[in-house]
Amino acid sequence: MSENPNSNLILLGVNHTTAPIEVRERIAIPMARLADATRTLAHQPGIREALILSTCNRVELLTVHEEGSAHDPSTLGFFQDYLNIRATDIQPHLYQFREREAVRHLFRVASSLDSMVVGEPQILGQVKQSWSVAREVGAVKSTLDPLLQRAFSVAKKVRTETHIGNSTVSIASVAAELARKIFGSLSGKTVLLVGAGKMSDLAARHLIQQGATTLLVCNRTEARAQTIADNLRTPTITTGVIPFDQLHEQSYRADIIITSTGAGQIITTDNAKTILQRRRNRPVFFIDIAVPRDVAPAVNKLEGCFVYDIDDLQQVAAANQANRSKEAEAAESIVSREVTRYTERIEQVPATEAIKQLMLDAETLRQNEIARTLQRLSTHPLSPEQQAAIDTLTKSLTAKLLHPQIDSLKKRT
Amino acid sequence: MSLLWLRVAVLLYGVAALAVLPAALYNRPSWRHIAMPAALAGVFFHFVSLAETLVAAHRALPVDTHETLSMLGLLLAAAFLFLAARYHTVSFGIFLLPVAELLAVVPAFHPGHETIAYPLHTGWLFLHIALLLAAYAALFLSLIASLFYLIQERRLKQKLPAPRRTWLPPLETLDQIALKSLLFGLPCMTTGLLIGSVVALQTIGPTFFADPKVLLSIAMWIAYMLMIFIRRHSGLRGRRAVYLSGFVFLVVLAVWSANQLSAVHRFKAP
Repeated sequence: MSENPNSNLILLGVNHTTAPIEVRERIAIPMARLADATRTLAHQPGIREALILSTCNRVELLTVHEEGSAHDPSTLGFFQDYLNIRATDIQPHLYQFREREAVRHLFRVASSLDSMVVGEPQILGQVKQSWSVAREVGAVKSTLDPLLQRAFSVAKKVRTETHIGNSTVSIASVAAELARKIFGSLSGKTVLLVGAGKMSDLAARHLIQQGATTLLVCNRTEARAQTIADNLRTPTITTGVIPFDQLHEQSYRADIIITSTGAGQIITTDNAKTILQRRRNRPVFFIDIAVPRDVAPAVNKLEGCFVYDIDDLQQVAAANQANRSKEAEAAESIVSREVTRYTERIEQVPATEAIKQLMLDAETLRQNEIARTLQRLSTHPLSPEQQAAIDTLTKSLTAKLLHPQIDSLKKRT
Repeated sequence: MSLLWLRVAVLLYGVAALAVLPAALYNRPSWRHIAMPAALAGVFFHFVSLAETLVAAHRALPVDTHETLSMLGLLLAAAFLFLAARYHTVSFGIFLLPVAELLAVVPAFHPGHETIAYPLHTGWLFLHIALLLAAYAALFLSLIASLFYLIQERRLKQKLPAPRRTWLPPLETLDQIALKSLLFGLPCMTTGLLIGSVVALQTIGPTFFADPKVLLSIAMWIAYMLMIFIRRHSGLRGRRAVYLSGFVFLVVLAVWSANQLSAVHRFKAP
């Protein structure tokens, strides 16, 4: 009987929970070297199939070994030799999963349940990329290929059956999501960036990614404003600079105003009323990232004005994160169910193979015996009807003789 | 047979109205797959039933109160399907489908027996009724969109987390729906009233215009016009838009009620 295809499945790796960035960056494999690294791993002694997943938060080696051994010298050796890192440096951070637990871990990773930001969508693409590279170099075959494909369909199931990826959890993406809730499509919308800062820059980039087409920058230093505008300009984005002293006169042009000057309340209720009046009450969204706040909190009370400061954005992000955690529980049940289903199916494979082999052997034997008998009777050849009768008789006998054995094999699984 | 189709439609509206709740409020796509086909089938059977009733029994006119209400229900259910296809939202079904169900359930189990007294101009009269019903449906839709706008605006101002905001479409979409439905309703109401006036002038004469109900209809049209003018030119949104839509809706309800009291206007046979 052939072995269980998953019996030698081993997953060895480090991730953001087990290793600090200093360790992860030493063993991270850049995309350009991934094919070579996968090929090298697959050629290690005793390894039949291999796949490497290397992202900013994890490096994992998924291998199928020739022999199921308690130790894993080949994979660990790869870390030492290929990545030039001492075993003592990496061993305290390593985790290892075998067989069913390796399957579970892979399904969890692909479904983004093991990610730093649970539910983030990038990880599935990264697993697919690793799989694609490993296929190209011939490192995934009969065991890893179906396993990876199953992992992708489990990840898809988790996405469609839970809301794990529905809410955004970073400040910048929360701001972009809120803007979409106000304006729908951001296509054709104007973003005004008041002041300069990493967070406001990130928020502006998110809004541009979501379709905003015009970006205005207003800063005390006009040259700095021009630099920011130039940095954010793309062929599809129109940028412009507003002199700081014209902020109140020009801000009505923007649908979304991101402020990060920290210079106190530069936008008061009266300013906001003027903006609304000039916009004929079209909504305006203030994203106030500054501390102290740039936009007077009372502006949020005006109809058509929506003010979110840094605390509000963080609270929404935290609430969304909590919601994701709730959805993650549902996702974990899906993964558990799918792991059971997959391992059960895999465990049936040896029996199926054995039954196939048994039937093939019996059929070969039957054919040989018929040929020998016909040979012996060559002086008195049988008619086609007689030959057909012998064929039917032997088939029936073989089937009846094999039945208890096949039944026993099926019961064993 | 038409009653059977109407009852089937009522049943389907009921299924759609229930399924749309988890689909819209909890964003469950599987329920959406029940609500949409059920509403579509409901509209189809409702249309078949109405067409059969009008052709067979009432000289192509929905003169009976229940039948006109049923036709309004059909228009509202059709509006739900249109919004779902155009704006990818089933939120409006929370209101539109139960109202369509209510409007159709009475004629389905208690059909009217009124017939018209004036067999002339039935085509024009049908157009008059259908256009006015379309205008009423548009106004109702606009009122719901304005209410949704108000809810969504409050939620965004209260800074609630994502799942509690997601069931409603974006503010700008709601604003567009509110305004576009009014813009659709205006020509319907204007043409409907004009046709009605011309037919009344020909069949009853100038005395018809002394009917307070007719004067109220003219007031309704002026209110409708004013509402569109104000919304378009001052960008009225939110609370004040709801108040304005609510006021015009009350005027429309008053006109509708007056219609029920005016046997002359309803062309009802004694």
